[in-house]
Amino acid sequence: MSTSAVANAPQQVEPIFNTKPRGLWSNAMSRLFHRRSAIIGMVLLGSLVLIAILAPVLATHDPIQSLIGIENVTKRAAPCIHALGCPADQPQHLFGTDGNVRDLFSRVLFGARLSLIVGIFSVGFAIIIGATLGSLAGFVGGWTDTLLMGVMDILLAFPSLILAIAIVTVLGPGLLNTLLAIGIVSIPVYARIMRASVLSIKQQDYVLAGHSIGSSSRRILFQNILPNALTPLVVQGTLGIATAILDAAALSFLGLGAQPPTPEWGSMIGQERNQVFSAPHLIIFPGFALILTVLGFNLLGDGLRDALDPRQRS
Amino acid sequence: MFAYIMRRVALAIPVLIGILFLVFLLNRLIPGDPCRAMLGEKATAQVCDAFFKRYGLDQPIPVQFGYYLGRVVTGNLGDSMRFGRPVTEMLTERLPVTIELALTSLVVATFFGMLLGIMAAYWQNSAVDVATMMFANLGVSIPVFVLGLLAAYLFAVVLKDTPLSLPPSGRLPAGMRVPTITEVWGLTNLEGPLRTLLDFFSQMYLVNGLVTFNWKLVGESIRHLILPTVVLATVPMSIIARMTRSSLLEVMNLDYMRTARAKGLNEGSVVFRHAMRNALLPVVTIIGLSLGGLLSGAILTETIFGLTGVGKTLFEAISSRDYGVIQGFTLVIAFTYVVVNLLVDISYAFLDPRIRLG
Repeated sequence: MSTSAVANAPQQVEPIFNTKPRGLWSNAMSRLFHRRSAIIGMVLLGSLVLIAILAPVLATHDPIQSLIGIENVTKRAAPCIHALGCPADQPQHLFGTDGNVRDLFSRVLFGARLSLIVGIFSVGFAIIIGATLGSLAGFVGGWTDTLLMGVMDILLAFPSLILAIAIVTVLGPGLLNTLLAIGIVSIPVYARIMRASVLSIKQQDYVLAGHSIGSSSRRILFQNILPNALTPLVVQGTLGIATAILDAAALSFLGLGAQPPTPEWGSMIGQERNQVFSAPHLIIFPGFALILTVLGFNLLGDGLRDALDPRQRS
Repeated sequence: MFAYIMRRVALAIPVLIGILFLVFLLNRLIPGDPCRAMLGEKATAQVCDAFFKRYGLDQPIPVQFGYYLGRVVTGNLGDSMRFGRPVTEMLTERLPVTIELALTSLVVATFFGMLLGIMAAYWQNSAVDVATMMFANLGVSIPVFVLGLLAAYLFAVVLKDTPLSLPPSGRLPAGMRVPTITEVWGLTNLEGPLRTLLDFFSQMYLVNGLVTFNWKLVGESIRHLILPTVVLATVPMSIIARMTRSSLLEVMNLDYMRTARAKGLNEGSVVFRHAMRNALLPVVTIIGLSLGGLLSGAILTETIFGLTGVGKTLFEAISSRDYGVIQGFTLVIAFTYVVVNLLVDISYAFLDPRIRLG
């Protein structure tokens, strides 16, 4: 009986493996697409990217050009939409005009580009520097670790916006310096995440196996440790873009970031903040653009965290 | 327990020294000439030399840092070049405004955040849960300055002439005089630290009104505090609600919860005495971390609502390159943040025996 079982074994075992095991990422993706909030986030961000790319096509006016002498329209005019009963003899401005008689709709559209750029580039910068420093600290250990993490602790001891303001004060106002300041302020977060991942992965058997077969430290770091530490970085990075966009807008609102006439949402709101009582549309439209953008990144980040969290994987 | 606290305090010291150095360095790196920023573009070289000498700016950087350390240790944070007054004097005047705002916001955020989080976790997947989480998602996504401006518009313009109308700026109605606590208590001859302390509390109008039984002052200061408090509290409230919900959900299905119900405890006791105790730890961390957000948000909130607190003063000092004020105020903000996080760490020891005994 036992001999016949052994003889038949290969044919019986095969069907069990007829489905290909799915990898971490494809698994995570399928989970991501089953979460309502993550889908809402992706739809918001997808539309935002489309708006940013198609801004020159969608815009009805030049975002920088003042319409004084070109059109018969007053400054801070309320929205005028012909389909909603605005007299046809008045020029159409979907979101109204701002204090310098520019078309607000076109400015809000172009603002999408700046917010996306600032968010993605400042976080990208922070991840590259932070992950390098963090893996160095975790991998080398000893004094390097103590020193690097000490500096990170000091940076973390400042409320982020206050440190960013201080850095922009040193570098001088402007969009590029804002991007840098926000990047520098976010470095410690990624350094800490990376160091923690490296420290926990360093103890795993497969890293020990790598050492024992004589792999170089660099090979182990790049081939074994980094790919496994990527998950928390991706999640934190997505949520970090939301924070970066908020901080950049706050700096611009205070007059330290993008300078007029750049169509940046925070700066647009900052320019007109004293007019909120007479022309609220100048706050509402760029304000909602900011809210939806930040909401999109937050929802996607939360969805990614749920999808990639190993504790949730069955 | 004592050893744990001592270890945490010892770990905070290098961070504090690092902060001192960084604040000092940032201020030296600020571009532009403080003399001409202060005395005007037409200041002559001779006038500027005297100016540099007076503020010690002609010394080498390490010497300046040494002097600076010595002064800070003795409680001298320098002078505001713009106002010609000691920074500590400005702090005793303006720090209370920010502390009052930050504390009321923290209380509001913690109370409502935990309440919403508990309700959402208890009725998981119900309409209450979905609504709370949608609100929380929106709350962390709204920029403080957009919320502030929209709230000011809503309550001061749209709801004008209704009982719900609220003042959009200032701390009190124009022209209202606030007697200090020492005046009311008849202690005008009082000198020294006690006087400073009482003057400090006098600037918190809510506290001032309560201890001097000045109900008009209490009422007016609350009316003026509502909008900035709600605006500043929204972000931490949303974060606290989410954290309370998720950490409660983690313990709700554990065995000891079933045991608690099985032995016939009422639901209130199950949730608040058994579940909350274990769910509280991450929430306390978040409350401590929220303080950084509150201090950042205070800059924007104070600017929008015209409150002369630390945030607004710091922002104005940066615009006018008032080194002394920037240094002093940044330092105090960062120190406060470190000390609060230290207190949060120590409170773990009380909440979690594993840390106390481990």
